[in-house]
Amino acid sequence: MSTLMQFLVYGLQLGSVYALLAIGYTMVYGIVGMINFAHGDFLMIGALSTFFLSQAFSSFAVNGTYSGLIVALIIFVAMVGTGLIGVSVEAIAYKPLRNRPKMSALITAVGVSMFLENFPRALPFIGPSPRSFPMLFPAKRFQIQGVMISTTQIIMIVLSLVFMFILYNVVNRTKIGRQMRACSMDKDAAQLMGININRVISITFFVGAALAAASGIFYASIYPQVDVYMGGWLGTKSFIAAVIGGIGDIRGAMLGGFIMGITEILATSVNSNLGYAIGFVILILILLFKPAGIMGKLTIDKV
Amino acid sequence: MSTRMLDVKDLAVSYGMITAVKGVSFNLDEGEIVALIGANGAGKSTILRTISGLEKAKSGSIQFLGKELTRLPAHKIVEAGIAHVPEGRRVFPRLTVKENLMLGANIVKESSIIQQRLERTYQTFPRLKERQSQLAGTLSGGEQQMLALGRALMTGGKLMLLDEPSMGLAPIIVEDIFRIIKEINEAGTSILLIEQNAFLALQTASRAYVLETGLISIEGNSSDLLKDDRVRESYLGA
Repeated sequence: MSTLMQFLVYGLQLGSVYALLAIGYTMVYGIVGMINFAHGDFLMIGALSTFFLSQAFSSFAVNGTYSGLIVALIIFVAMVGTGLIGVSVEAIAYKPLRNRPKMSALITAVGVSMFLENFPRALPFIGPSPRSFPMLFPAKRFQIQGVMISTTQIIMIVLSLVFMFILYNVVNRTKIGRQMRACSMDKDAAQLMGININRVISITFFVGAALAAASGIFYASIYPQVDVYMGGWLGTKSFIAAVIGGIGDIRGAMLGGFIMGITEILATSVNSNLGYAIGFVILILILLFKPAGIMGKLTIDKV
Repeated sequence: MSTRMLDVKDLAVSYGMITAVKGVSFNLDEGEIVALIGANGAGKSTILRTISGLEKAKSGSIQFLGKELTRLPAHKIVEAGIAHVPEGRRVFPRLTVKENLMLGANIVKESSIIQQRLERTYQTFPRLKERQSQLAGTLSGGEQQMLALGRALMTGGKLMLLDEPSMGLAPIIVEDIFRIIKEINEAGTSILLIEQNAFLALQTASRAYVLETGLISIEGNSSDLLKDDRVRESYLGA
């Protein structure tokens, strides 16, 4: 029993990484109608920029650990910076193609992903070799009923739940949230309400990329190694999580992320190769029995 | 002497290689209801979509209260005072009736004005008040048309563009909707109306323009057009 609980803790931890990343896929799909294949690379940008920021702040570190305030500042700057990169990517690469066939944007997204991975790789001060990620969170461990849990895990799980709670309420209770939902349903009608859809799309990319950065920081805090390719595989898995949950639905992305994280840990405990495959098994099952995803509905809107 | 509100001159619009509107001129004075009638594909909807900025004009000008609209993005045109009720109503199906109306007031900052307009809209459409927390996608066609009109009222626009308000509705509901359109006009909103049902359009509007494959073929007072042989033959089925 305590072993199962232990796996659940690991699963929630990994799940929060997937969930935060899946939110960006699902929001961009919901509002712009495209799959941003470069989204996983925002995770890498978040993690790498955190690595460099923590180096810049290294004089504040005492015995390799940073005070809570400095860590909060680093995370904040990395999230905002990655958010702005997300906004620029949309403005430069995707916006000119908005009224073109969907395939153009899709192929461009693949190209953007290659660029975001290989341009930093070519920069001398970044380069291709992996870096070891600093300890941002205190690594204190304690035992509850035979389950080992660390402060890093608690901070990660709680923070990601807080981010998701804030996002959910912004989308459902604020004016900008209402504008986002309107854009996701009908862009022409949204413009006729005086909504500046370019602004809404920019904000969507900002939020998605900033949450991807948080996801990258969390991931690198569990597996403390960062390199320019880390976003690829994680991005694919989070995309699957978004599809499992029902792409376009924010709650679905969160749920899908946690399902992916927990099942992956459980499967890995049986056989380490199974962990990689389990996501695809779930994806196939979902697509067979509930093609719109867990939260997604195949709605027929009256016209 | 009423003031000129909308002045469209030599407007041409194309979709890629296809020219949908080939140089159309018409106007509308403050307080008027003007109708554009014509068959499917004559370019009526395209004209409305270009006025509200959803399509870009290829050439020509659109002046609204002395302001040139052809270079403005759609969301700025709403702010200038044009409310477009699009073809097929286009309410936001998975938002509630109230959220739809609040989006109509998206450009309004003062919450007192929003509240005031919401009350006035509920007075005009008591049905919408009853259903305010229902999802718009679950409303009947007539109710959705009311919501689309209510949403346009919430923008506070001085000119309303109505694209086929009778489409797909039962005759008794069409009657209701057109009574309300006249009420809205009497309360001070000018209206540019597109309608397949030419008889209904000519009964409602004071003046009308007949559109044929992207060009205006006939124009005049509604009462004259109702008697015009060409109009009677082609559009009134008489």
